[in-house]
Parts: sequence; structure tokens; C-alpha cells
Amino acid sequence: MPVPALKAKDYKSDIKPVWCPGCGHFAVLSALTKAMAHLGLVKEKVAVVSGIGCSSRLPAYIDSYGFHGIHGRALAAASGLKAARPDLTVVVAGGDGDGFSIGGNHFLHACRRNMDMTYIVMDNEVYGMTKGQASPTTRPTWSNSKMTPHGTGIPCFNPAAIALAAGAGFIARGYSGQPSEMTRLLVEAIEYPGFAFVQVLSGCVTFRPDQRSWKEDVHPFINDVPTEDRIKAAQIIQADDGMATGVIYASQYPVWQPDNQKETELSLLEEEFDL
Amino acid sequence: MSSDPAVVIDTVAEFLVHALELEEASGDHYDELADSMEIHNNIQVAELFRKLAGFSRQHAKEVQQRTEGMRLPKLTPWDFKWKCPSSPESFCMEEASYLMTITQAMEIALFNEIRGRDFYIQVAEHTANEEVMKIANEMAEEEGWHVEMLREWQTSLREERPLEDLDPPNMPE
Amino acid sequence: MNKNQADDSSSSFSVAVTGSGGSGAVTTGRILLEAAAYSGFQGLMTRSAGPQIRGGESAAMVRFSADPVECMGDQYDLLVALDWLNIERFADEIPLSDKSLILCDPAAGEVPVLLRSNGAEIREVPFKVFASGLPEGRLNMVALGAAAVICGLELSAMEVGVRRVLASKGEQVVETALRALGLGYNHDQRPAKTMPLPGKQDNVWSITGNQACGVGALRGGVRFVAAYPITPASEILEWLAPRLEKLGGSLLQAEDELASINMIIGASFGGVPSLTATSGPGLSLMVEGLGLALVSETPVTVVNVMRGGPSTGIPTKSEQSDLNIALYGLHGDAPHLVFAPLSIRDCVFTTQWAVQLAEHLQTISLVLSDQSLGQSRAIVETPSALDLPWRRTIEASPDGDYRRYQITAENISAMTLPGTPGGMYTADGLEHNVRGTPSSMAVDHREQLNKRLRKLEDFDFGDEWAEIEGEGTQCIITWGSSAGVVKEVAWQFRQQGNAIRTIAIRLLAPLQRRALSQAIEGMNRILVVEQNHGGQLFQYLCAQDVLPMTASSLAQPGPLPLRPGRILRALDE
Repeated sequence: MPVPALKAKDYKSDIKPVWCPGCGHFAVLSALTKAMAHLGLVKEKVAVVSGIGCSSRLPAYIDSYGFHGIHGRALAAASGLKAARPDLTVVVAGGDGDGFSIGGNHFLHACRRNMDMTYIVMDNEVYGMTKGQASPTTRPTWSNSKMTPHGTGIPCFNPAAIALAAGAGFIARGYSGQPSEMTRLLVEAIEYPGFAFVQVLSGCVTFRPDQRSWKEDVHPFINDVPTEDRIKAAQIIQADDGMATGVIYASQYPVWQPDNQKETELSLLEEEFDL
Repeated sequence: MSSDPAVVIDTVAEFLVHALELEEASGDHYDELADSMEIHNNIQVAELFRKLAGFSRQHAKEVQQRTEGMRLPKLTPWDFKWKCPSSPESFCMEEASYLMTITQAMEIALFNEIRGRDFYIQVAEHTANEEVMKIANEMAEEEGWHVEMLREWQTSLREERPLEDLDPPNMPE
Repeated sequence: MNKNQADDSSSSFSVAVTGSGGSGAVTTGRILLEAAAYSGFQGLMTRSAGPQIRGGESAAMVRFSADPVECMGDQYDLLVALDWLNIERFADEIPLSDKSLILCDPAAGEVPVLLRSNGAEIREVPFKVFASGLPEGRLNMVALGAAAVICGLELSAMEVGVRRVLASKGEQVVETALRALGLGYNHDQRPAKTMPLPGKQDNVWSITGNQACGVGALRGGVRFVAAYPITPASEILEWLAPRLEKLGGSLLQAEDELASINMIIGASFGGVPSLTATSGPGLSLMVEGLGLALVSETPVTVVNVMRGGPSTGIPTKSEQSDLNIALYGLHGDAPHLVFAPLSIRDCVFTTQWAVQLAEHLQTISLVLSDQSLGQSRAIVETPSALDLPWRRTIEASPDGDYRRYQITAENISAMTLPGTPGGMYTADGLEHNVRGTPSSMAVDHREQLNKRLRKLEDFDFGDEWAEIEGEGTQCIITWGSSAGVVKEVAWQFRQQGNAIRTIAIRLLAPLQRRALSQAIEGMNRILVVEQNHGGQLFQYLCAQDVLPMTASSLAQPGPLPLRPGRILRALDE
């Protein structure tokens, strides 16, 4: 007898999110479960890996295997998992602080290593879990944090540009206020054979109520996207105000996977030491 | 009559898939809001959302009954013919806040219910299928009652002062 | 037990080969060791170099004996000087006496005063002249031939050594080397001292400590390794990389140690026994990840090949100074396993044991090897393959009420692996309840703290926690690589008709307090010997309240190796 198809709701665990009402992350959770249902993923063959932060609580809310690790290291843990278990669908989730600040180095190298996984960064331009400090994507003049009373004064991190420069083959941007489009982005990202990076503008109602205006600010790309052309992608990203949504770049690069057909026994390998 | 294929729904099955998604998503959305309001101890608003979730679930049940025996098309989440970026009764999420008053919550609810009603009206206006038009009109009428009911409820409420954040956010990690 | 441990005076032979980088000192030492092995000796080769990537000056120290060799002696029988470049740098490392012999080339210039002053006999052989008579002739091979005579090794054994070490360079190179070797061998036939040749032995390995850790890891079931290069641990990772692939596993080079520790945690969460290797600076970066593995009960093993510290310290030299970070580095109450191999050969067993216990106890194992073990080569009896029973407890078909952190009699809870229906859970660095759900409740914290402590404290580690030898009322306690020199001291002590007990600790945490207390019962003289400045083991044993007030500490930091004579003097003090 065929197993009835799972609905999005079936991919949610029975743990209630700790997020604030109105948090954009609810929409990401919903879109991810819809994408999983659409792809008909087998729950126990999915692993959701995260670091620390509001968004990194996501794995517990998905009914699959999960790893809620330490701040900034989700991509590393996910890379080890994928290398050891290529049969799993690996989804990595986190925030802008987790991914671009403390985890910045892992972000660069995950892009260029190009293992088959999806990385969702819920970007709200703020550290929510530590009560509202400026993050790498915070505009330099935002001065509402006690830690940076005059604003950071430094330019913000451009995730798409850096992902492209670091060698990512799939780059997309979504918005939590556009859950249907986000679902499409996530489906494409999960299906993409390689490292798929999805930046989701996911507003923080508590520390960045100003982000409510995002629904007026987001817009489609004016250029034809996605492009397979790296140079065009670079131009599009540089010309963009950071608020355009859609798949920006989709190209193919060699995927890192272990080359490990078992071909011998340990006892035979040990013969090299015999005298 | 519009010929824009993005909004035209010409079969009963396709229409009911939309109605079902709209009502289920709305129910999920209100429940989610109610859950998070409960976590933040905004009980009055949580109760309102819970009640609205109940309405949506009742509607979903009714739609479900209409679909019995029918072969429904499978739509991908981004192929639904909404004119807004999500299912019509699940919008305005970012307007929620744990400090919101019942009046503000009512505004969100009203906004969503009106959009739900308008979706059904729009389907009825654009369809060439009489059966679709008939059901859509019925459902638009029902949503219209909800809108009226919410409006009455709203006028009966006293003007409240916005809640103060007496216990500001924690740092859990 | 090494009843017949080599000593300085008669039963072992110690050779140092020095030269400018590129002169072939290390290759010369390596061939000498292999030839000695072919003649039936066991042996040890350590090396020393300056800080340069290449060039500079380098030295190979070889000691061989009919019995196991686990440390260098107090002095050298023979110094083979290929040239005199910066020889003074090695003066401390290569002690000579009036019983020593210096083999050198008159063309290289006068023997430096520093060396002449100790009264060693000087034997001159024209390395350069002989070598230049051959096309592509190398003077180190001429020196090797001359050294072989002094060591009492036969030409046939030398030829086997040359073939083993140089085979990969092609037949032409081997032929030329053999001709040069012959010229040196036949020039002066007076041996230095004769040791009977034991004859070719079966079941002998030539292996470095780093390779031995790799073998132990594979024997323990490790099939995933994450790697970030660091001196002196890289050889473990380099040795494992191609071999893991052939065994169906994999090695992933990480962007830093923060990544490598988290990579092995991810892989182990996926069900594959996982390991990384590093040294002090890398271990420092891994500490946060170790806490995550410990709390999420995801087994991982880290081999830490210690070097001089703190900070960048002395990367190329050995020191046992990472005991403190290994024991106490983690924040929070974080009981875990700390091991130290007692010899190059023991790197195989200790690493295997550590991996399998990490798997069985679902915790972290730290293995404290060091540069002196890792980068030295030994000729040893083949470590027999052991089928240790310890494995991860896997739940393959969970019922509807699966609890990842269920409290059990042994405090070990069965683990489901991704892919198993009905066993889904989220591993977490946050404190959690039995289901793995984050919890800050006192009752859950206490329950899980107890679980993580008791599973280690209540486990029976057996007799392998230490090697205990000898009787009497005097006792030396040591750990890790210092066990080698301590055993030699004990042998010399017994040769003089005195009794002494040695306790070499292999399992440092959890400390087997009761067993250790029993082992030192009745001792009226206890000396704790280790190669660091602060007496880290001594402090630890004091903190654990196992030592009597009369116990004393001999702690000598790197880079110089601990020598038997220093310990003998300390016992007399």
C-alpha cells in the first residue's frame, strides 16, 4: 500500500518555537516544511544542523534528525556529517551573526568546498538572542544598540557577493513576508547538487521593529535572474540594494564528496611496517 | 471578466484546493500566533487568535466535506493563484508583537479576513465556471459575516493603552 | 616488562648523525636503524632540526639494542659529523664523553673545540674524496659505511637498509649509494665495540609514533578524520588520508581547528567513529567543540601531539605540558577521558583503546602523545591486533517512546543514527532532559551531570590504566612518553641490586585513585617524573589527594629530553 504523502505540518515537531510573535523565522520554518513536503523527503533521512541564535533553534522544530551545535560552527558540523553520511539530506540553518561573524571563515570555505547541502541564513541584521547588538549585516548608522551607541560605522557584509567570490554555485535571496516564493527558493536549493546558499531577510520585530518596512522595500531583481554567468552575477549583486529577492546565481561546480570505495583490509595496510 | 490566467480558476477542484489551503494555512497561522502569545503571557490576544484559528478550522472542515470523492490537483506552494505573496489570510505576520493589544490584534485579524473575503469575490468575478462562481460567492458571504462580526466586536472594545514592556527580553543563550 | 632494558654501558649502541640540512643526516640515520633492525636489534630514532622549513642544520639520533629501546641514553657512543655547520646547536642534545668516538671528514675542517674538549676519540675518513670519485656520489653514504663498521653491523645488513629506504628513488640511486657505502665500509675495519648480532627477528615493525596513532585509530574503527595541519601532528593525518579512503572512510581537510573538531562531531553524530589530531595551539581552539561533544554525548577522539608551549612555543620539540588543558580545559563540569601512550609501540594500543572507550562511553577521549613519540621511529615487536569489546550502543529499531538521554544502569543510553525511523532527536549543546529537549531545570541538569560523571566513574577500566613494575619501597610515578626513560632508570637501579617500583600512568582521567593508592602503599620515597615546568601531574595527584607529604616532583621542561642520569640523581637527592 502506498504511504500517504506527508503534508508540511507533518514535518513540524511538537515543540513550540521560542520565537517572538511576528518573527520572520516562523515563515522560514513554514516554508522549509512546505519545501520538504513538496520534495517528499523522508523525515529520518534529513538532518538539520545549526549553531547558536534565535534562528538556530530551528532544528528542534523540524521532525527530523537535528544538531543544535555551537555558535558559528554549524557548517563545519554539517560538512563532517555529509562527508560521513552522503545519503542524508543536510540542511544548515542560522542567523547573520552566527554565519557571517563568528562563523565567517566556515562560510567562505563551505562555499568553496561545495558539498551538497543547503545553507539558510535568516538575516535580521541584529543579534536577537543577546538582546539587539549590531551584526555584520547591520547598516553602519544603526545606533540603537548600547554596544555601538554611534552605530558601527563600518560597511556591512554583503552575503551574496561574498558567497559568489568564495565559489558558491547557488545563491538566492528570499523574504519572510513572501513565504510562497521562499518555498520555491528552498525547493530549488535543496534540489541543487552542491552548496546552495539562501539568504532570507527575516525581520526581528523585537529589536528591529523598523524592519516592518521591508515589505515595502523588497522587490524583484531588475535583471534576468538567475544567471549562470559569474561575471553577470557579480554585476547584479553589486548593483542591487540588498532587497531584491529570487535566485541570483545558479551554476555548476565540482561537488566535494569522499572518494572511498572500500578496497582493502586494515591488516593488509599494516604490512607496510613489517621488516 | 478578466482573462489574466494568474487569477482565473475554472474548475471546482482547483478552486477547492485553493480554499482548503487558504483556510488551513489561516488556521495554522492563528494557532502559531496564539502559541507564541501564550509563551509571552499575552493571554487576551492569544485567546482571540485561538478563536480565529477555530473559525478557520471549521471552514477548512466544510471545504474538506465539499471535496469528498473528488480528484484534487496537486499544486506546488508557489503555484497558488493568490494576488498576495502568501495565502491571503496568513499575511501581516510582521505586524504581530508580544506587546500588541487586543485592538491591534483585531486589526490584523480584520485585514486578513477581508483579504480572504476578497479572494473569494475575485474568484467569483473572474471564473467562467458557474459552479465555481456559486461556491465562491457562498464562501465570500461567509467571510463577509466574519468581517462584520469582527467589526462589531472591535467597536465594542474600549480604547486601550499600549502595553508596557515591564519584563524586557531575556538572553537565553 | 623490560627486564633487560638497554643501558648505556654495554647492551645498547647510540649514534648521532649531524650535518647541514640537505646533507642527508636523517636519511643516514634511518638506514642505520633499518640495518640494525635487519640484524635483529630493536631501536629508536629521533630527529632534531632547526626552525627552518629546510636547510639549516639537522640531526638524527639512533639507539639500538637486543632489547626494547624506549628512550635515548645519557651519552652517545658515536657522533657521525657530515660537516660542522652549527654543530654547537646540538651540543646539549648529543652528550659525548671520553668513551665516545667522533667520525668525521678532515676536509670539513678541524673538529670544533667544543667537541674535542670532552676527550672523545676522533676517527677521520675522507668522505668527500671518496664520494667525488663516484658519479652522483653522496658523502653521507660513505660516512654511513664507515659508521656501520664502528657499530658492528654487517655490510649485507647495510645493503638491505639502503634498499629499503632508497628504493623509491630508483635503482640508479641505490647502486650509487651502495658503492659509496662500500668505500666507507672497507676503509677502516676497526669496530668501536662489539655487540653480538641477535639475528633477523620475525614480527618486527618499523614505525613512528604518529603512524602508530594512525594504526590505533583505524584498529579502533575510526573511519572519518578531519584535519588541519600542525607540527608535530600532521603526519598522523597525512598517513591516514589515503588509507582511510581504501577502507571506505574519508578525511576532510578543514579550514581551521574550530572546523575540524566540529566536523568530527558531525560525522560521529552520523554514526561514523571519528578522530582528529592536533597540537597545543589547535587543542586550545578545539576546547569549545569538545564541550559540545561531551554534552551531546557524541563520541570523538582527539590525539594531541604535544610540543613546547604555551602559545606557539617550540613547535619542533617535545614537552609534556598539555596535561592541564587536557584535564581542566573545558568550562563547566565536564568529566571525560584523558590518555597518554607510554611508548611509540603503545601509541597503537592506547589510541585504539581511547577510540573504543569514547565510542562505548559516548564521550570525548584526549590522547596525549608528544613530539618525541610522534616524530621518532622505532623498531619494535609487532603490536598484536586486539579485538577490544567496546562499541557504541546503537538503537536500530526504537519504539515509539525513544529517549536519547535515558538514564540507564550504566548511564549509557542507546543512540539512534540518522536514517533510523522513529529515533529522531536533536542533539544539543544546551543542557537537556532525557529526550534531548533543552532544559534549564535544576532536576534535569543534576540528572544529566550525574549521568555523564557516573558513566565514567563506575566503568571498570581494568589493569590497562597504568603499567606497574617492580617492588621495594621507592617508587617513580610518571606518565606518557616519560615512561621510557623511567623504565631505563629502573633497570639501571636494579642492575645495582636495588629494588624500585615504577608506575607509568596511561589513563589520566578519570584518575584511578583507588588502584593508584594501592600501588604506592608502603612506599617511603615517591618521585613524580614528567617533562614540563610546572609539575602538572604532580599537582594533579596532590589535588586528588593520593600522594603522601613526602612525595616529590622532578619536572623538567623541554626541549631537552629527560635523561636517565638526571632521574637517578633526583632519586638520590
